[in-house]
Amino acid sequence: MIKRAFLLLCSLMFLAIPAVAKTPVIELEILDHLFHPEEVRIPANTKVKLVVYNRDSTPEEFESYELNREKVIMGGRKANIFIGPLAPGVYPFFGEFNPKTAQGRVIVE
Amino acid sequence: MLLNSVILILREVLEAATLISVLLVLSLHLRGGVRWFWWSLPVGVVGTVLLAFNLDIITDALDGAGQEVANAALQTLVYCFTVGIVWLSVGIENGRAQIRTLTIFMALAVACAMIREGSETMVYITGFSAVAEHRTAVYAGGAIGAGIGLSLGVLMFSALRALDAKLARAACLVLLGLIGSGMVMQSTMLLEQVDWLPAGPALWGSSGFINEQSIAGQLLYAVFGYESSPSGIQVALYIASVLITAAAYLVARGRKGPVHVD
Repeated sequence: MIKRAFLLLCSLMFLAIPAVAKTPVIELEILDHLFHPEEVRIPANTKVKLVVYNRDSTPEEFESYELNREKVIMGGRKANIFIGPLAPGVYPFFGEFNPKTAQGRVIVE
Repeated sequence: MLLNSVILILREVLEAATLISVLLVLSLHLRGGVRWFWWSLPVGVVGTVLLAFNLDIITDALDGAGQEVANAALQTLVYCFTVGIVWLSVGIENGRAQIRTLTIFMALAVACAMIREGSETMVYITGFSAVAEHRTAVYAGGAIGAGIGLSLGVLMFSALRALDAKLARAACLVLLGLIGSGMVMQSTMLLEQVDWLPAGPALWGSSGFINEQSIAGQLLYAVFGYESSPSGIQVALYIASVLITAAAYLVARGRKGPVHVD
């Protein structure tokens, strides 16, 4: 009985895999040491792929203590950063090379 | 720009300086000298330049996961070397290991750590010193940051040297185990960032208690890889790394007996 229930559960899990939605992609830009947009809204408990384009000629480092993320993005290049699944809340991020201007936040709701 | 350069360079130098001072003290206690350290410098510098100047190609490699995978590999290597160093340190005291092997491991650990910390600094300095208005601030800030970082390293070195030999050796091994495990924690974060490891929700949030941006937070980060909101996998791998290092120490200590001649 227990074995049958376990097997049923396993097969259900396999069936569920193709049904999982693709990871949503959100694009961001760095221009003149500013993030565009500065505010990104994402759903709670969902993995999201951020694609950050650095339109400046200087390098930047995407950094967030709250999101536990850090990545150097060379001038004129892009970077992929996966975030989440996250609990609802505000998660600030900044450009470590220009922390005064390059500020933004991820709002999880 | 000046203050930012100071903080940025200080952070990177502090991490490398912590590891270097612990290894130097340990080496001196085991009569390994400091010559190995001078060998690690050119290797570290060449590696840093190669990584920094190819970072755009490396970043795009492996479907955009190249930068994280390269850095995680370097940090995992540092961890492996620290486990080897703990094992060999005990072996040397039992007459079962060669001091030469130990110093090679130390040099390689420092070189890998330097490449990891140095490449980011290099990208920053070369990127912003190219902008005329930032040049002075970047160079001056970098020099001040490096100076403070090195001073803290020297302070740590002197403090460890001032300890009684037995205590110093124990402190070095414990610190080494924690620094190495911190590296594993950081590389876990990097692999989560590119979706090579599944990211879970944060286990706890201690940023209200010790903020990662504070000086205490930065020091704890340099020594223990402190995170104020780590994921379950990060914590699990950190604990596993500490246990593996402890096991290496205990197993090496249990291997007493006649001296093995290679």
